[in-house]
Amino acid sequence: MSMKETLTNPIFNNNPIALQILGICSALAVTSSMQVSFVMCIALTTVCAFSNLFVSLIRNHIPNSVRIIVQMTIIASLVIVVDQVLKAFSYEISKQLSVFVGLIITNCIVMGRAEAFAMKYPPLPSFIDGLGNGLGYSFVLMAVAFVRELFGAGKMFGVEILPLATDGGWYIPNGLLLLPPSAFFLIGLLIWAIRAWKKDQVEAPDFKMAPNTVGSGSHSHS
Amino acid sequence: MSSSNDTIKKTITVTVLVCLFCSIVVSTAAVMLKPLQEKNIEQDMKRNILAAAGMFDAERDVDEQFASVETKVVELSSGTYTDVVDAATYVPRAAAKDPQMSEALSGSDDLAKIGRQEKYALVYLVNDDSGKLQTVILPVRGYGLWSTMHGFIALESDLQTVVGLGFYEHGETPGLGGEIDNPRWKAQWPGKQVFNSEGDVELGLIKGIVDTSRSGAEYQIDGLSGATLTSKGVTNLVHFWLGGKGYGPYLDNLKAGKT
Amino acid sequence: MGLRKILDNVEPHFTKGGKFEKWFALYEMVDTIFYSPSSVTNTGAHVRDGIDLKRIMITVWMCAFPAMFYGWYNLGFQAYTIMADPILSGGVTEVGGWRGAILAMIAGTDPNSIWDCFWYGAAWGIPIYLTTFVVGGLWEVLFAIKRGHEVNEGFFVTSILFALTLPAEIPLWMVAMGISFGVVIGKEVFGGTGKNFLNPALTGRAFLFFAYPAHMSGDLIWTGVDGYTGATALSIAASDGMAALQQTLSWQDAFIGNMQGSIGEVSTLAILLGAVVLLMTKIASWRIIAGVMIGMVALSSLFNVVGSDSNPMFAVPWEWHLVLGGFAFGMVFMATDPVSASMTDMGKWIFGILIGVMVVLIRVVNPAFPEGMMLAILFANLFAPLIDHFVVQANIKRRLARV
Repeated sequence: MSMKETLTNPIFNNNPIALQILGICSALAVTSSMQVSFVMCIALTTVCAFSNLFVSLIRNHIPNSVRIIVQMTIIASLVIVVDQVLKAFSYEISKQLSVFVGLIITNCIVMGRAEAFAMKYPPLPSFIDGLGNGLGYSFVLMAVAFVRELFGAGKMFGVEILPLATDGGWYIPNGLLLLPPSAFFLIGLLIWAIRAWKKDQVEAPDFKMAPNTVGSGSHSHS
Repeated sequence: MSSSNDTIKKTITVTVLVCLFCSIVVSTAAVMLKPLQEKNIEQDMKRNILAAAGMFDAERDVDEQFASVETKVVELSSGTYTDVVDAATYVPRAAAKDPQMSEALSGSDDLAKIGRQEKYALVYLVNDDSGKLQTVILPVRGYGLWSTMHGFIALESDLQTVVGLGFYEHGETPGLGGEIDNPRWKAQWPGKQVFNSEGDVELGLIKGIVDTSRSGAEYQIDGLSGATLTSKGVTNLVHFWLGGKGYGPYLDNLKAGKT
Repeated sequence: MGLRKILDNVEPHFTKGGKFEKWFALYEMVDTIFYSPSSVTNTGAHVRDGIDLKRIMITVWMCAFPAMFYGWYNLGFQAYTIMADPILSGGVTEVGGWRGAILAMIAGTDPNSIWDCFWYGAAWGIPIYLTTFVVGGLWEVLFAIKRGHEVNEGFFVTSILFALTLPAEIPLWMVAMGISFGVVIGKEVFGGTGKNFLNPALTGRAFLFFAYPAHMSGDLIWTGVDGYTGATALSIAASDGMAALQQTLSWQDAFIGNMQGSIGEVSTLAILLGAVVLLMTKIASWRIIAGVMIGMVALSSLFNVVGSDSNPMFAVPWEWHLVLGGFAFGMVFMATDPVSASMTDMGKWIFGILIGVMVVLIRVVNPAFPEGMMLAILFANLFAPLIDHFVVQANIKRRLARV
């Protein structure tokens, strides 16, 4: 796989959220505002890229028996650093992200890439892979946040686009979009759209229903 | 992975080295960034206080704006200033959970449904250039529909006219109870009166829209449509904190000029 | 027969290989409205197999008519009564906008005239229903064409039930969004009628309830009289208690439906009329309806006994739960939806009781939502397959023990 593919594949072809259905929890929780989502994306992409890099750097020395713990230690340290940096330089947003920065530690995407990719490939491809997966996550998050903030609060990145009726404008915001479950629907619709576009992502059905009708089926009426 | 990695010696070495390296990175980051973080927390609180009083100007430096604000500790039961605790380090929210520093409220006493109330509260006084009291900002909180709503209410120096009310933390339903953050709703508060002629707290939310032509409108705020319990919660917390169990004694003292 | 001939003549254009192959669903829809389809159900009314349910669905559709017509009349009665009283109406004495223009031509504004009241309600109810039907129908046809299945008449039922659970003053664009969500997310994404596990009408209503709460509940939206504030009976019971409610509304009035509420949900009497037909034709499961009643009566009686100082809803007796809010409508028309309910006999009992218990639980204990029927049924919908699973497993075990 070329470097370019390593970077771009996770965005559409093998998106961690849309195809692998990983990392959903934070996608539900933080996407009511684009600004907050954007910072979350940066945080996760950073952690994912660097954890892949560091794990890959020492991959030949990691004992098999403790490899998950070693990966976790590296990931957790990176997450703490990112969290501290956010608290210092972007306090407002870190307050809104609350526990979800900390929960990057348990984000399956980060862990999954470290175990599945970084343990097997050299540092540079690993770093690129982490970056690509971070971007794949970011693509979904920003798409969801775009819809939620625009139609839920009439804003984009906190800037008013649709003036709300409660503030004297005309737009009646959709309150459901401000609630986390709406992200479920949006991610579902996004997956639907992606699979309609890239048919190879559609899974084979588990079973097929037999018809439960008698008659010829051709509409000849007697 | 070569099998030599799995010897006990190698396992321990790698683990220790990884841990050592990581802990150095983490602690360096934590120590270096701590001053910045603490400043952020402090500025955030100041911003909330100023915003409640309707004094916050996003263009100007927070510290500069807060310079005219004086923080004092009040013993709620007696309504007098005290220096039992240090205003700079005292955290009322922590005190409210500490049995030594707070008392349990029950039944009808606990109008705002806060469970425990701290014995000492912080109040913020804004003085004009000549040193005369201009605004009093009082922290308030109370239970709405889903959550405790934390905010500030600011009164003019007559201790009767509202300057503003604002919440900085709550978990009410977006679009319904969450409208307590709506600037258009908050804009009704300035100028409203707190106490009626008998000296009881009258200010509160009503059902529906206030009819300004009727008498008593000066005590009334529009109810939040579709959010009966949040509206009740706001009324209750105003009544509780400005009443006898809250800042009542303090406000009386302040009026009489004997704090 | 002329029509049959025309249909048969054009049929080849719509079947495989014909000019309008894609539009077969449309042809089939028109055809089977007039004639019995050639392929009919093999094994009883088994909606999970996506079979032809036309006749059943049309019956349910018609059973909702009494509730709808009474709802229209009541809407007019409420509105004109308010308008006749200058204090209540705040000076509003005329029906505004295009509704007013049309109504002025056909009827007066007398609250005692059934004719006047009926047309007032129709002026609000028909646009809502038409919007539901056209928008929802478009989605149905779109999916039918795209997926090559037939347009199912289940939509007749979905559309009328959805329209009847809405308040009069809801903006029509919200109606369009609600039914779109109900049909697409509640049904089509799972493969269409018979494969959905949620009731599409309620899914659409739930969407509106959470998306636009101010337009789905509250005090302003029920009568169509501008600016008039009037709480629903349930919210009076929740905030002021039973005594206050009984001062403004007698049980008989509530049973007949002389109160504010969603268009089709006010009259328990009219709904029960529909229920009688549904039960006699065996379309609705009597087990589900009985289960809902048992669950509701049991839990509300328990709450009556327990009592509460701070929560007036504890004191609401079961006969009031029955006549207030959407309980009766939900029990008769929504809970009995054969697609989303349990299939086994035992499962139907459990499913019904679960709804009855949940609706009282939500009404009494949850502070946020005065009404609980919609959420209770959706909740039970989710559990219906699981309930069936356990019923079947228990059955297998019991029979194995006999071997």
